[in-house]
Amino acid sequence: MNAASAIPTVDLTRNHANEGGAVRIAVKGLNFYYGSFHGLKNVDINFHDRQVTALIGPSGCGKSTLLRCFNRIYSLYPEQRAEGQILLDGQNVLDPSVDLNELRARIGMVFQKPTPFPMSIYDNVAFGLRLYEKLPKSELDGRVEQALRKAALWDEVKDKLRQAGTGLSGGQQQRLCIARTVAQSPEVILFDEPTSALDPISTGRIEELIEQLRDEFTIVIVTHNMQQAARISQFTAFMYLGELIEFGPTNRMFMNPVEQRTQDYITGRFG
Amino acid sequence: MPALTETIALARPRAAAARKGPSRSLDTLFRVCSYGAALFVLVVLAGILGSILYGGWPAFREFGFAFLTSSAWNVGTEQYGALVAVIGTVASATLALLIGVPVSLGIAVYLTQLCPGWARKPVAMTIELLAAVPSIIYGMWGLFVFAPLFARFIQIPVSNLVEGMPIVGTLFYARVPSGVGVFTAGIILAIMIVPFIASIARDMLDQIPTVLRESAYGIGCTTWEVVRHVLVPQASVSIIGAIMLGLGRALGETMAVTFVIGNANRLSASIFDPSSTIASRIANEFNEADGLQLNALMALGCILFVITFVVLIIARLLTRRVKAA
Amino acid sequence: MDASNPMTLSESAPHRTGRVRSSRRIADRVLRTACLVATIVGAVVLGSILLMLIIQGVQGFTPAMFTHPTPGPGSEGGGIANAILGSLVLTGIGITIATPIGVMAGTYLAEYGRFSKIAGLIRFLNDILLSAPSILIGLFVYTLMVRPMGTYSGWAGGVALAIIAVPVIVRTTEDMMRLVPGTLREAGAALGAPPSTVIMSVTWRAASAGIVTGIILALARIAGETAPLLFTALNNNSWFSPDLMGGVANLPVMIYQFALSPYPNWQSLAWAGALLITATILVLSIIARLVIKPQMSR
Repeated sequence: MNAASAIPTVDLTRNHANEGGAVRIAVKGLNFYYGSFHGLKNVDINFHDRQVTALIGPSGCGKSTLLRCFNRIYSLYPEQRAEGQILLDGQNVLDPSVDLNELRARIGMVFQKPTPFPMSIYDNVAFGLRLYEKLPKSELDGRVEQALRKAALWDEVKDKLRQAGTGLSGGQQQRLCIARTVAQSPEVILFDEPTSALDPISTGRIEELIEQLRDEFTIVIVTHNMQQAARISQFTAFMYLGELIEFGPTNRMFMNPVEQRTQDYITGRFG
Repeated sequence: MPALTETIALARPRAAAARKGPSRSLDTLFRVCSYGAALFVLVVLAGILGSILYGGWPAFREFGFAFLTSSAWNVGTEQYGALVAVIGTVASATLALLIGVPVSLGIAVYLTQLCPGWARKPVAMTIELLAAVPSIIYGMWGLFVFAPLFARFIQIPVSNLVEGMPIVGTLFYARVPSGVGVFTAGIILAIMIVPFIASIARDMLDQIPTVLRESAYGIGCTTWEVVRHVLVPQASVSIIGAIMLGLGRALGETMAVTFVIGNANRLSASIFDPSSTIASRIANEFNEADGLQLNALMALGCILFVITFVVLIIARLLTRRVKAA
Repeated sequence: MDASNPMTLSESAPHRTGRVRSSRRIADRVLRTACLVATIVGAVVLGSILLMLIIQGVQGFTPAMFTHPTPGPGSEGGGIANAILGSLVLTGIGITIATPIGVMAGTYLAEYGRFSKIAGLIRFLNDILLSAPSILIGLFVYTLMVRPMGTYSGWAGGVALAIIAVPVIVRTTEDMMRLVPGTLREAGAALGAPPSTVIMSVTWRAASAGIVTGIILALARIAGETAPLLFTALNNNSWFSPDLMGGVANLPVMIYQFALSPYPNWQSLAWAGALLITATILVLSIIARLVIKPQMSR
């Protein structure tokens, strides 16, 4: 791959598609450790409201690690710890007093592989809603439909809401997971390589979906696919060996990177 | 092509024959032997059923269907019925499940979800090793350690408390608070099946992909919600299979129960009273029995065969379905 | 670092603040506590079983126990030498009969009958036999051997134990042989080796650690079996005789009879025997685990 093939797909007008732009998440001096391994080194970065920020870099560069800090999902593993600050609307999510369950309802996450829960399509979406709100059936139905519509899945599943979520195709399962996340009305949605297990057509649908979701949510996406980053993101961060090398508007990052390493990675010289 | 093969065969007839001859017959022999060995499993199972049916037949003929419904067990008058032993078997195994299943699942959940990493392996290994301890040891522990404590600290106070009360006064009243009885047997059986069910359930929970667990936490679930709504349903079929396997063990367990059930042939509504199970009665009386008593014991064996095999077949069907999926 | 974007924090309030209901919190606490308690209860009970064994068993543990036969009723002292020897012989007979049958049957299931219906049935019934009540196997062997021969015998005991051991060996052999990659078999077949040669010199060799583990596990399983021996080998208070056509003393039945007896020296011998047999079985199980480890991680 080279820079020339990536550039034409970038839509230069897209940066101004909505009103977003203010900083939603501010990461300050973030360090991350897997046991004694230093996984993130003093990362400072801002994520902007209702914009898509792509994290790119070679495998093991820490981009997924950074993503997993936002909702502190890493804390499931006792040997992993983060130091520094991640300010979500000014509140430090790394503060031990933060309620993890509440935090994770505010910051949704979609994983690399589709993860439908062992329940019906309807219950998969309603599950997260029921955790926080006691809704009457009619309203719950409405919210489930709304979420499935936002995830562009409604038309495909409206006649089989009671069937198991695991019976859907891979791409549909991934959109179901997105619907499940969207249903909770989070403020931020994290995508961890959401299309790497999908075929090109399903990938295209997910990318369109992310583009639509940007109207409502702040989105951070980890991707291996640089064209994907160029297609769907407004900001791009390039990471390497646990450090943030360069961050900026996507079009500038791809057309005119400042750092040599960014240039090398984007043009396919390593990675 | 055929011509070519022929030429080669003609060119080296002796070498080919020398090579193929013995190995081919050895091959057949090996195949037949392994097939025969596999059939041995079928033969043994048929043999077990055949031998106890053959032995129990006179008792079934003598008493007919009443063998199942009669609570008599009188060597003097040669009157035999299976009811007490069947109830004792089912009651002790049910108690074992009621006590053992929650504990097993608790241990499995603790080991897979809550336990600090360093303790996980040693604890899991200890539990698996305990499944290997022979059943007679559990019986000795039950009789010599547990029963006296149980009589003193639970049976006597509870009996005094509930005496005269309706229902609980019958269910939990011990006429002779010796510590042995159906309830004690249930507890000992529970202890025996816990390592077994816990280790299978742990394997099943461990096999659930991490990403599914993370995504449940990722939408803000508490550990309880992750376990209740995602992990347990995901592993439910195989966990039920494991429970059925445990039930199969509890129903057929002999030595541990023989030590602690009290071996009485009395139909009692109290779970603190002594009773018998099918297996304990066979173990106790078989060597001194002959004539119709021997046939009656064999007939009991038939009933045990039917009960346990139905349970085990269900268990294996459940665990198998998961593997296929 | 990126001057074009203002560093101010967003002013917009979160559009929904989820509050974790206290009922959810309580349910979570209860679960965590219950699981911890279950594990502790399990550990305490199981610990107390081992503690009991050690305390009681060590008291009866004397050198005389390995040199003297079991004492008669009411007599002093004595040992359990005949029972130890008898147990070794019975488990030896059991495993000697069970190993070829189990390994061959497992080989059939893994190699020849992978997809055949009869193999599926045998596999299923073998799994059932694996957890069948051992007392029923005792009744079977009683009918098959003790009754026709008119006497309890060591042979009958050995056969009963073999029947218990076979399903364990079948299962592990099949599982372990299935782990052997197909390419290895293909490589063997490509050299022109007939199937039996490929199995014996390639598959078995590759799966050997696993098969040995199965045999050790079967050994651990039958070493402590009591119920089927009650009606087959029974017991014998005299010195071990090489004639296996009579009752043979063995540890499990000795423990059963002596533990429930009124004589203190019998009881203490029962405890010593219980400690000996449990320790043996635990050691066998640990060895099986160590053998299987490298195999599994490969």
